[in-house]
Amino acid sequence: MKIVGILFILLLCFESKSNINFNAKSTTLENGLRLIVVENPRAPVVAQMMWYNFGSNIEQRGKSGLAHFMEHLMFKGTKKFPNSYYSDYLSKIGGSENAFTSYDYTAYYQIFPSQHLEKIIELEADRMNNLTLTKKNVEIEKKVILEERFQRIESDPSAQLDESMRTVLFPNDYYGRPIIGWKHEIENLSYDDVIDFYKENYNPNNAILILSGDIKFKNAKKLVNKYYKSIKSSQKIKLNKLNNPDLKTSTNVELSNENVKQQIWKRIYRTKSYNDSMTQSIALDLGMKILAGGTSSLLYEEFVNKKKIFSMVGGFFQGLTKGNGYIYFYAIPNKKVEQSEISDLLDKFIVQAIDEGISEEKLILEKKKYYFDSIYGMDGILKPAEIIGEALTIGLSLDDIENWNDKLDKINLEMVKKELKEFSKNRNFVTGNLKN
Amino acid sequence: MRFIFLFFLLIFKNLDAFEYKNLKTNSGIEFWFVEDKSIPIVSVSFSFRGGSSIDIKDKNGISNLMTSLLDEGTRNLTSKQFKNEMKMNGMKLSFSTQKDRIDGVFQIISAQAKDGFDLFYEALNHPSFNEVDINRVKRQVISSIKIDESDLSTLASNKFNQHFFKDHVFSNNIKGSEESIKNITRTDLVNFHKKSFVKNNLVIGVAGNINVNKIKKYIELVFGELKDNQQNYSIKQFKALSVGQKIFEMKTPQSSVLFGHPGLERNNENFFALRIANYILGGGGFQSRLYKNIREKKGLVYSIYSYLLSYENDGVIVGGFQTRNKSVFKTIENVKNEWEKLNKRGITKSELDNAKAYFNGSFTRNFTSTLSIARLLQVVQYYELGADYFIKREKIINSLNLEKVNGIISEYFSNEKLFFMIVGEPEKK
Repeated sequence: MKIVGILFILLLCFESKSNINFNAKSTTLENGLRLIVVENPRAPVVAQMMWYNFGSNIEQRGKSGLAHFMEHLMFKGTKKFPNSYYSDYLSKIGGSENAFTSYDYTAYYQIFPSQHLEKIIELEADRMNNLTLTKKNVEIEKKVILEERFQRIESDPSAQLDESMRTVLFPNDYYGRPIIGWKHEIENLSYDDVIDFYKENYNPNNAILILSGDIKFKNAKKLVNKYYKSIKSSQKIKLNKLNNPDLKTSTNVELSNENVKQQIWKRIYRTKSYNDSMTQSIALDLGMKILAGGTSSLLYEEFVNKKKIFSMVGGFFQGLTKGNGYIYFYAIPNKKVEQSEISDLLDKFIVQAIDEGISEEKLILEKKKYYFDSIYGMDGILKPAEIIGEALTIGLSLDDIENWNDKLDKINLEMVKKELKEFSKNRNFVTGNLKN
Repeated sequence: MRFIFLFFLLIFKNLDAFEYKNLKTNSGIEFWFVEDKSIPIVSVSFSFRGGSSIDIKDKNGISNLMTSLLDEGTRNLTSKQFKNEMKMNGMKLSFSTQKDRIDGVFQIISAQAKDGFDLFYEALNHPSFNEVDINRVKRQVISSIKIDESDLSTLASNKFNQHFFKDHVFSNNIKGSEESIKNITRTDLVNFHKKSFVKNNLVIGVAGNINVNKIKKYIELVFGELKDNQQNYSIKQFKALSVGQKIFEMKTPQSSVLFGHPGLERNNENFFALRIANYILGGGGFQSRLYKNIREKKGLVYSIYSYLLSYENDGVIVGGFQTRNKSVFKTIENVKNEWEKLNKRGITKSELDNAKAYFNGSFTRNFTSTLSIARLLQVVQYYELGADYFIKREKIINSLNLEKVNGIISEYFSNEKLFFMIVGEPEKK
């Protein structure tokens, strides 16, 4: 057992100069489709992820929920492989699949035995261009999506509070609209809306195909070329990037519901993103981890351990976004506390903690954890595809991802403090309170 | 420090090539191990039989509270110091209390193995259980119980267990209640820790980049000091599961419905036949009958599923969905119809063939990470599926024919034995 007193000295000896990366190989077809391969032959299994570089961010006003609706409909079959052929085929070979829609991207994935690679590549290529939808498909799926909205949002007061906080924080762009869509707008989405959305956006120019696992780049290239080259590219997504005005008022949102048995305080800040600056964002991320991440953070130490006001408190930075990133905080009080009182306590403490609590020792520890986590991220086949896909669709490059740890190495205490100081002056935030 | 990636990739091209070692430490602790050099990580997955089923009367939730305290400091390290040491070594340690067992996962970066296993040893054998930490974690468990009570689907799941399992210990909430948590003392925790972590109720699976001699030494270090208590914490059979339906009123636009039915223990010879039947009914993601007929054709729900909960001596079939209050009884009727149709008419040859192909094909997915390999090794031991399970499994699946599976189905999936728990404001028909 190590003696704790020498922890700091040991930390200083640590250098994280690393060559850890995915060794991802990349090529782009003439029609614009980007192919990324991460070779990992340890088990005879492949993960395929098709990432489209758009999500709810390209929906026209009044059509919220359309991108997510489309994602559901992508499982309805094509002329050549009708109805649930694709899903049935995957199931027969022991595969699994799913899909998800975010603000900035939409992704579909399958995990399956590698001997069926060619067929799965063919099936994914086919539904990019040849989807056949009936009006009945669309009407029934709309009911499913309304049930989904009722399950995720309308039956969950905490999710309603989040939805409401985002509308305040992002008054002028798509981050303020729910991905799943507003109920009244989902109800009005039509068959034509869906068909237009599909034709306009689902094409090779907006897509990144990632294959990870028991597969060779050369073979992947050959097969992908075979099934995708005939698909014509149409327009690349042109995102009309909207900015939000600075908030001039302080905004407190409160949701009171009889089912709520535990008060939760929340706050969201509008921030920069990795797109604005990789280095600054990594510094901010490290700073947030020291300040508010997990059960050894400064906030936890102060309010859970010392003052015993909260049973939990924490926060994180999410900057893997095309537009603004955000910082999210939450606190769970042991006894009822006024929203404004919690806000005051945290505001005061955060300013003081940034001045006095961010130490070299804590930074080295967080960097080390960050680095170790990147190794854990490589144990598996889906995770690398997820990391690469998310980063590329929001606008980073493959080099940005592969050299991430080099950038991490260069972050010093001053850079972290600078980011946190800037953050502490950020007035673009909204505070929420969930209560009985 | 610099990690060098050694690309002696361990390759499992097919099941015959999947070889694990059955190892024994000096003091006689058995564990299954796969040496996997493809990544500098060691993953240990382990289980102690017991879990919340051996909770103390009026102190429900003690198992969960005890395991929640295991990363909160040891005899030498405060909670804060312990957490720093974990970060410093790239170590992950988590425990979760289940109804019949405590599951644990330990992961370490290979180069830090020595310090990591030392910390693991201290956490498992010498947790501090300081009053200050106990009180803090109690407050956290109590808020989490309150959050569960505010969450429709978690509340429904707890209500379902309470009413479906009735007098069986499985009716208890794993987290306990605010009152029962407050009843627990430090002495209770110390005693419960001793009672839970005993050698004769332990199984271990390990995978990763470490050699045989070292892992034997480390497993001995971590688990070698535990006592045998000769008590077998296997759960009792479910003698009286509820049938019919129960409503818990809650003001919410959707109702959450969970349903249950008797099933089979995991090592029953007919388990796979039941597993295939359930896969076809409600287990197969986008292919199941419940999914296709209730979601895809009617749009009544976003998600609907059923799964087998199989333990050592008994098991149940459990399912669930959420739907708008106005369609609750309509959807329940649909579930009952599917249930009855399956019971009366069984499955078709092509459904059987597809399901068998699924179970044969999906198994290799277990080999894609050190953690999933370690888990697989642990689970096979836990349910005593046999040292030859990896070879036997395919034969078991392939030996199932239509007559056999439909025979099992006609004994199960009886509408009269179904129980529905409804939480919400369902509109009467």
